Amino acid sequence: MKEKKSVIFFRYALLTIGVILSCLPMIYMISTSLRPNGALYEYPPRFFPQLQDVTVENYQYIISQNKFYINFFNSVIVSVSTVALAAIISSGLAFVIARFQFPGRKVLFGFIIVTMIIPGTTLIVPQFELAVKLKVVNKLWGLIPFYTAWVIPFSTFMIKGFMENIPDEIIEAATIDGADIFTVFFRIAIPLSTPAIASVSIFNFLTAWEEYPWANTVINDNAIRTLPIAIAGFFGQHQFTQWGYVFAMSALSLIPVILVFILFQKYFVTGLTAGSVKG
Amino acid sequence: MRQQEFIGLQNYREVLADKFFWTSFTNTIVYTLVTVPLQMILGLFVAILVNGIKKFQVTFRVLNYLPVITSWVIASLIFRYVFNTEGLLNYFLSQVLHVTASNIRWLDSRWSGLTVAMILGIWKGIGWNMVIFLAALQQVPIDLYEAAAIDGCNGIQKFFKITLPGIKGTILFVWVMLTIGGFNVFTSIKMITGGNPAHQTDTILTWMYYKAFSTGKFGYSAAVSFIMAFTLGIMAIFQFKAMRNRDRELEEIG
Repeated sequence: MKEKKSVIFFRYALLTIGVILSCLPMIYMISTSLRPNGALYEYPPRFFPQLQDVTVENYQYIISQNKFYINFFNSVIVSVSTVALAAIISSGLAFVIARFQFPGRKVLFGFIIVTMIIPGTTLIVPQFELAVKLKVVNKLWGLIPFYTAWVIPFSTFMIKGFMENIPDEIIEAATIDGADIFTVFFRIAIPLSTPAIASVSIFNFLTAWEEYPWANTVINDNAIRTLPIAIAGFFGQHQFTQWGYVFAMSALSLIPVILVFILFQKYFVTGLTAGSVKG
Repeated sequence: MRQQEFIGLQNYREVLADKFFWTSFTNTIVYTLVTVPLQMILGLFVAILVNGIKKFQVTFRVLNYLPVITSWVIASLIFRYVFNTEGLLNYFLSQVLHVTASNIRWLDSRWSGLTVAMILGIWKGIGWNMVIFLAALQQVPIDLYEAAAIDGCNGIQKFFKITLPGIKGTILFVWVMLTIGGFNVFTSIKMITGGNPAHQTDTILTWMYYKAFSTGKFGYSAAVSFIMAFTLGIMAIFQFKAMRNRDRELEEIG
């Protein structure tokens, strides 16, 4: 099919406008972080700072603070642990649900779907009472079981879709060759579901890295704050907000996310597709 | 721990008689009804555009996805900064375009405050919709379009007769996920308006949070939590039913 040049040009033009709109707030964030921190709101407000005003002093301030590294490290610990735990538990769950018939299978899957429909933030109040009972309030590692529990349903749902599509012949052949269930799981099911596991892992990393409501509720001490609460804290802490610091810290905290996203971009799309398109 | 007394449905009665709860409930419904369809329509539109180009497909996909990976805290702070009374938007409207006489207090009234949160929600959600819809569009068999072209269908007919039915499953999946997301709007409201003025912009979650952690009414909040979980559950059952009916129809045809 031949398409008119004008139609194609029109598409690129519209897409470019769209991309500008989606990037505008981020660009403004970066540009605000690059100007002097003095004024509450500069007047007149400028989208881009004047060239002679451009400064990295906000970044210098943030990276000179020990606090920043502590917050950053806390976020890394929580996010990486959540990703690892969720990957192990969800792929096991998905394998069992996708490949076996057993009494209670439907009920188990039903529970997973229900917990997917009612996400963690909805249940923040009863969860808090649970956290108090379990004595995990105001503990950094206390975030990990909650985040893991939040992301398991969706992860299981996505990985299950992938494992269901593994041809029976492969597993039968392996069984005939004497492979037990663990060998099948580790040598066949997991490698063949890598795209799904990778894609939910990116998603889980984002969830844990940016989570605010729960961390803000259960974490009090400065030393165990994760990045989102540290950034939000900057915003409310003083009489006036030091936007330069807020946005410099925000920009720095986005770097790992963008890195993860760009590195795993390929997996991200394939994995997401597998679970949803079947829908 | 203090002695706890069983009080039956007292908390539920209190919630359902509370006008603040109903304000937050209405706000949440409005937020969901506005942001979900707009995200889906715009996301599908961008997906169709990206699907129709050959060069720079990945670039456009990645750049459109940027708002999705920006955290809610950061995105909310940017929007708060832009929409602030002394912020960039007001300056632009009054001093550059001269369409407003004075600075508008966007964040100080119910509907304009909510609108800012809704714009943020839509802006942040389009990329996710685009990625999912793009994947679905690429699964629609290309020969259907070719057959339709031979039959003399125009672009709009092709869209309604082939594209939409072809991605119906994905549309329903996205619809369910976004509805859940809409009901769970929290961080943007908390950071942009903080529920102000006088709880007029609170959503169910921010109101529930306020009652529990600012006034200590955990029983009340747990009741709100259950009402919301119940509402979401009922809605999802209807949505999944719609999905299953669709599958059955497909099986009968195929």
